[in-house]
Amino acid sequence: MTYLATFYTHAAALISHRNLVKNGIDAVMMPVPRAVSSSCGTCVKYRADDPSLSFLDNDKEAVYEITDAGYNELIRYE
Amino acid sequence: MEKTQRGFAGFVKRNWLVIVSGLFIGAAAVVLSALGNPKNMGFCIACFERDIAGALLFHKAEVVQYFRPEIVGIVIGAMLMAMIRKEWRPQGGSAPFTRFLLGMFVMIGALVFLGCPLRMVIRIGGGDVNALIGLGGFVVGILIGVIPLKLGFSLNRAYKQKTTEGLFFPILLVILFVLSLVTNLFAKTEDATKPGGQQAVWYAALLIALVVGALCQQSRLCMAGGVRDAVMFRDFHLIYGFISIIIAVVIGNLIRNTFSFGMTGQPIAHTDSLYNFLGMALVGWGSVLLGGCPLRQLVLAGEGNSDSAVTVFGFIAGAAVSHNFKLASSANGIGEGPVLPVLIAGFVFLAVLSVFNSKRRA
Repeated sequence: MTYLATFYTHAAALISHRNLVKNGIDAVMMPVPRAVSSSCGTCVKYRADDPSLSFLDNDKEAVYEITDAGYNELIRYE
Repeated sequence: MEKTQRGFAGFVKRNWLVIVSGLFIGAAAVVLSALGNPKNMGFCIACFERDIAGALLFHKAEVVQYFRPEIVGIVIGAMLMAMIRKEWRPQGGSAPFTRFLLGMFVMIGALVFLGCPLRMVIRIGGGDVNALIGLGGFVVGILIGVIPLKLGFSLNRAYKQKTTEGLFFPILLVILFVLSLVTNLFAKTEDATKPGGQQAVWYAALLIALVVGALCQQSRLCMAGGVRDAVMFRDFHLIYGFISIIIAVVIGNLIRNTFSFGMTGQPIAHTDSLYNFLGMALVGWGSVLLGGCPLRQLVLAGEGNSDSAVTVFGFIAGAAVSHNFKLASSANGIGEGPVLPVLIAGFVFLAVLSVFNSKRRA
């Protein structure tokens, strides 16, 4: 599956990207797609068997599953 | 990763909104100049906030005092659009005082150059070569600012706030604006030969700015973000908005016969290339650390972000400092005050912040 994680800070996206890659997960950093947020921050798109939440920084905002229909929000953190 | 639609159709699908926003803003800038705003300054976030600082008597530069409706319109337009699209979210608490200081230095840099990144683009569209030098400084500033971003720079996260925290700023702006219309409390430049006295009729300015604010909220148009994303991710989405503004302004100026290519004789501009470059370098670096240019800060403040509202007050304070201590440039050249020491102080501040707020040191 392909997932997309958004974060409250750019640094959190950076750390999460490093963690994912370090653990062998195919991940890229990119600007947050307009379809999921009006924020202009940085997100991480990655391909994994599950959302791999333990590799994501504590300042994560939301995790989406990317499907042919679009972005399906799996979990949101306040 | 998932499939991305390629070709021209895919390009249009991904970028139409930011291109339409850019074209509208460019056209709006030309129209507002035709309606009375200064030449090559149909829109300028820095200049208009400086005018508001003057209207509120935070500075006494009589040639630039006017409560500009455009600032109010952008904030309220963004707020209404965010509310309609259920994207209005009161949040804040991300290093507000640091953001205030960043706002001050960004404004000081902008007033050395004589314009925010938006006016820089509008000046380029008017043929002002000095603005191309400013663009060089802006890009260099962003390139420097990207380095700490890659090293984990952070101002820490914002948190959800009470509704009032997100509403106070737009409500305050509206109250002050109404007072500026119905009372004589605030200063207002009357001399139409001075920048502050060159005013498009208020309701047209407000209406156009409302649309601009709404479009910017939806498109996320940001001058600094465009260059940042291009450098960091090879993502040129926001740059297309940047280019669209220039195209619309060039066409508008050619239609109005106001296009003038060159360095000298440009409206409300000086020809000191070093300071044009340094001023915009400070703006570029500061804007990257803030996460957005002055236009974007207004839009975020409209979306309920009180950190951006604090940043806007930093801009206004920076404008007051610029004029009270003669740091602001004019068409005659740079200010008579300690411009270079203050610019250096700004760069030192940004350097210290960049180093100490990177993740490796935090």
